[in-house]
Amino acid sequence: MGERFGPGDRVRASRTDPAHHTRIPRYVRGAVGTVVEPEGRHPLPDLSSRRLPAEPEPVYAVQFSARELFGAGDHTVTVALWESYLESAGAGTRAEEL
Amino acid sequence: MARMNDVGGMEGFPAVAQEADEPAFHADWEAHVFALNGALIGRGLYNLDEFRDAIEQLPPQEYLASSYYEKWFRAITSLLVRKGIVTEAELAGG
Amino acid sequence: MSGDHDGPAATIAAQVRRLEELLEQRGLVDPEEVDGRLAAFLTRASPANGARVVARAWRDEAFRGRLLADANAALPELGLSMGGGLQDQRLTVVENTKDRHNVIVCTLCSCYPLALLGPSPTWYKSEAYRSRVVRDPRAVLREFGFELDPGVRVSVWDASAESRYMVLPRRPAGTEDADEQALAAHVTRNGLIGVAPV
Repeated sequence: MGERFGPGDRVRASRTDPAHHTRIPRYVRGAVGTVVEPEGRHPLPDLSSRRLPAEPEPVYAVQFSARELFGAGDHTVTVALWESYLESAGAGTRAEEL
Repeated sequence: MARMNDVGGMEGFPAVAQEADEPAFHADWEAHVFALNGALIGRGLYNLDEFRDAIEQLPPQEYLASSYYEKWFRAITSLLVRKGIVTEAELAGG
Repeated sequence: MSGDHDGPAATIAAQVRRLEELLEQRGLVDPEEVDGRLAAFLTRASPANGARVVARAWRDEAFRGRLLADANAALPELGLSMGGGLQDQRLTVVENTKDRHNVIVCTLCSCYPLALLGPSPTWYKSEAYRSRVVRDPRAVLREFGFELDPGVRVSVWDASAESRYMVLPRRPAGTEDADEQALAAHVTRNGLIGVAPV
């Protein structure tokens, strides 16, 4: 199974809010960022923490502008996110640029 | 569901406190907790994701009030009790 | 025994011992294994490892390129690896330049490149650092006595998955003739995390 996203792709972090363990931090949920690079394939911790079967899936370093995340700041925050946490944001999707 | 560990961007925390020439462990028990966790995961009694989950499920006030290795110890004991490997009574020395 | 502790510290030390006893009785833990893990961790993992990687990258342009392209493949050239821990870890080395400064964090817990930096400092694991460095990295760096030039862009890296990040600091001026050992001596743990220039 290949990777859904590649470097430069615009993606939106899911607005999920699960009751179980997850590794998508609240501060990125719903934010649009840019894929920096793929970072291997690993089982989704939402599943392995509950001892459910979990096939390795791609993880990506995704870069967000501080303005997109917090409404202020001139820095970026790059977060490592499993593919399940991401949706394509597509061309023309607005995000707060630097 | 918000969990207390997910603090990225949260406001109100103080300046970062630094300790000069800090040792890896501030007491022997911390070192034992560190090594014990590795041994138990190595043996497959629980996995790393279950361990992180257990830390995150500490009640928020306990999470914030506990030191780093206190959190680890509470998480390890809660996992082992939940999995029926030890009981609360046994841990208390009964 | 616990005679040198008092108050709650004695209680937790005793609780830890109690747990170890129970697990040993049940054959779930081997006391020698516990000691062995500790010794291995404390001796093998240290910021001297990260410093050697940085020194090599400063002196050897081709190595620097390999390190930035695939750090896991480059580490064995120095006899180093990210292994020895609880899980496979992918390493990404992020390079500071005159225009960009990097700093690493794990907002969700405390993930850290232990193999190259040794045990993490308590401040790295604190809610104060984890909450604030993603929102206002310059303010946090200022608390470490590090005032970043306004023209430099900051990139914060949150190790939320299996990857671990390490900063490749800028080579200090005046070190053109230094050998690798002398260069490595310039590199601090704080520099490898990104809260110091080097």
